Amino acid sequence: MKTFSRIAAGAMILATVATTSMAEDYPSQPIEVVTHASAGGGTDTTARTMLIRARRELGVDAFVQIKKGGGGAVAMSYASGKAADGHTLMAITPTHLITMARGRAPIGIDEIKGIARSTDDPIIIVVNKDTGIESLEQLIESSKSSPVKWGGTQAGGIDHIAAMTFANKSGAKVAYVPFDGGGAIITNLMGGNLQAAGLNYGEAVDGIESGDFVPLAIMAQERLAILPDTPTVGELGIDGVNFSTVRGVIVMKDVPADRAALLEEKLIKGMSHGTYQAYLSGIGLDASSVAGSEVWDAQIREMYDNIYTTLGELGLRK
Amino acid sequence: MDVLGGLLEILQPTTLLLIMAGTIVGVLVGALPGLSSSMAVALLLPFTIYLEPIPAIAMLAALYCAGTFGGSITAILINAPGAPPAAATAFDGYPLAKRGEAGKALGMAAVSSVAGGIFSLVVLILAAPALATIAYRFGPPEYFALTVFGLSMLASISGKSAVKNLIGGAFGVLLATVGVDLTTGVERFTFGVPQLYEGISFIPVLIGLFAMAELLDQAGQKDSPLERFNMSALKLPGLNDFKRVWKTILRSSGIGTFVGILPAEGSTVAAMMGYNEAKRWSKNKENFGKGEIEGVAGPEAANNAATGGAMVPTLALGIPGSATAAVILGGLQIHGLRPGPYLFENQPNLLYAIFFAMLIANFVFLGFGLIGAKHFSRISLIPRQFLWPTVFCLCVVGAYGVGQSMSDVYIMLVAGLIGYFLNRAGFSPAPIIMGLVLGHLVENSLAQSMILFDQDLGQFLSRPIALFFFALAILSIASSPLSAWLKGRRRADAPAYKDLNE
Repeated sequence: MKTFSRIAAGAMILATVATTSMAEDYPSQPIEVVTHASAGGGTDTTARTMLIRARRELGVDAFVQIKKGGGGAVAMSYASGKAADGHTLMAITPTHLITMARGRAPIGIDEIKGIARSTDDPIIIVVNKDTGIESLEQLIESSKSSPVKWGGTQAGGIDHIAAMTFANKSGAKVAYVPFDGGGAIITNLMGGNLQAAGLNYGEAVDGIESGDFVPLAIMAQERLAILPDTPTVGELGIDGVNFSTVRGVIVMKDVPADRAALLEEKLIKGMSHGTYQAYLSGIGLDASSVAGSEVWDAQIREMYDNIYTTLGELGLRK
Repeated sequence: MDVLGGLLEILQPTTLLLIMAGTIVGVLVGALPGLSSSMAVALLLPFTIYLEPIPAIAMLAALYCAGTFGGSITAILINAPGAPPAAATAFDGYPLAKRGEAGKALGMAAVSSVAGGIFSLVVLILAAPALATIAYRFGPPEYFALTVFGLSMLASISGKSAVKNLIGGAFGVLLATVGVDLTTGVERFTFGVPQLYEGISFIPVLIGLFAMAELLDQAGQKDSPLERFNMSALKLPGLNDFKRVWKTILRSSGIGTFVGILPAEGSTVAAMMGYNEAKRWSKNKENFGKGEIEGVAGPEAANNAATGGAMVPTLALGIPGSATAAVILGGLQIHGLRPGPYLFENQPNLLYAIFFAMLIANFVFLGFGLIGAKHFSRISLIPRQFLWPTVFCLCVVGAYGVGQSMSDVYIMLVAGLIGYFLNRAGFSPAPIIMGLVLGHLVENSLAQSMILFDQDLGQFLSRPIALFFFALAILSIASSPLSAWLKGRRRADAPAYKDLNE
């Protein structure tokens, strides 16, 4: 009996030691990255490419967990239901911010914390060269006699919000034509059905280089290194039109700060490796896409405010 | 020279081995409902980083080709299309298998898939850059007219009554409206359920309407004695069968290549149109839906021709021609390659290498398909008491696999129940599927056209391509009453014969 209690006491001590060391030993189990989009899409490919090196940096396995539906709402309710121990990350895009702003998400903007940005692809306003338009002012002016046919993705999505925010702040008249995907927007801009569109650099590059598309302005704070002659919308005197196809990872804000900091450090180190950088240049981006918590978290919040306002003006917010 | 260079790039042992592996994985993934070739390509993508660009992309392209064929295997054997493009194959493939001619249907699917695939690839190798510009000619008004033409066959797509086909088609279009509307951003028929926000996914409905409904029907016959097919079920199609279908195969290959080139369309629409046209031009119209071999050749040649077609805008313009092509596009980008006119001018070797990889993949799955047909068709010899419970598991896993969500499983079960009762009431699933496939397109392209036309319907008249397809649609609808009227006249002209005969 005595021997047994001694063994039991020993085992209890051991167990206590084990749990304490487990707590300090973070990460201790595979890291899960929750996404909202189907396998093979941009978000999925970005997350998977990011994880190739991140696994090695973190020293544990990492995998992508797809939870489709509700414009990210299903992914958000899944991720927010997991323990806030830093083993669950969520890859977010402007779609999630829109779902939050429309009041359809189980969580609000104040419940998340940005960890690292993985892509930042500002929207460029381009026109078909056959329109003869060469500057943003000309576009605004000519739209007043007949609204400019402007292509983008789903109504209520980021392209729509960007186009309408631009229209509101510049006075341009925009007839927004929604399409299923980026490919259809480009073919219709090329074929002359559309006069203008908000495109990412990777989508517009072929048309710009062949001279079929004319880039007028960039919806970002700074010019793009690859398009040094194209001004930002802000330079032309129209403020607060900053929209970008951004992707990045977040955690719930209850995750301990030291764990969040460790995640930030390791993920950024992983993304600075050649594998991820080659992916970035393949989609027409550069190393400036990758940014830490400070920049990324502020960007999420600025974009959220813009989205919230424009959705209200479009009557698409409750 | 470029063409030869491309061929030499492919004829390396490792590359050939990878193409082989890609093909076999493709057939298996394609055959399993719920696993799609786009998913398989996406999952393989990170692994290809360690390969050279040509072998990597060759493997993915081979997987893509083979995946489209794979879907037909389960469509024929257990009425569960492994992938949406195979839905139309089930219309006649399953009745054939049920009749004890599984081997014939599977063999025909393999041969017509390969014929369609090779046809489109030869066209591409000869004329890819020129063909790619077709994509620019197709704006929303043209898509709308093309879709209206597709829908014009709705009333006669199955042998059931025209009214029931139209009701079924309308139900399919109605299902397609669930979710956030593309052009207004307003939610329709979602009842506040977030899972319905992005619409009803296609695969669970497909599995439900076909496989689950058939399973319920089979369950109703549990007391009937075991029936066994004899070994002739394993027989492959003969020369006579091919003589009957070569025109269908050729026609469907052309349709498939054309539809594949149009971005946003794709194999599923191509297969539907291939089936429609096979029926329209067939001498045995009344056999369609009851196990007509032309009904297998038509969609299978078209959907595989569309995979080749879809690679044209993907590679030549950098605009994906289908979901899987979009993932392959991502693969090219991971390797630092930029598809588009630039690639065509500077690295033609790479392009031709991809086309040859797809060509080789076609021959690999021809062998695999023909040898496999003999073995796979044994599934139709399994007594249904044992087969269908297994199919049920496959249905559940397949529906879950699409989005890893239970809501898709519930959609599948509900679709199964609906399908079961509709079958009993004399409806066919074919028009429902057609309405669901074309419903999105017809509605969105009309809404887009109206914005482009400043809400002026008359501007459709200024689009020659659209007018051409509208004319075809009118002819298509008018042709059956017209031919009935002509027949009636001929009979009226020749009363004497009739009297003599009687």
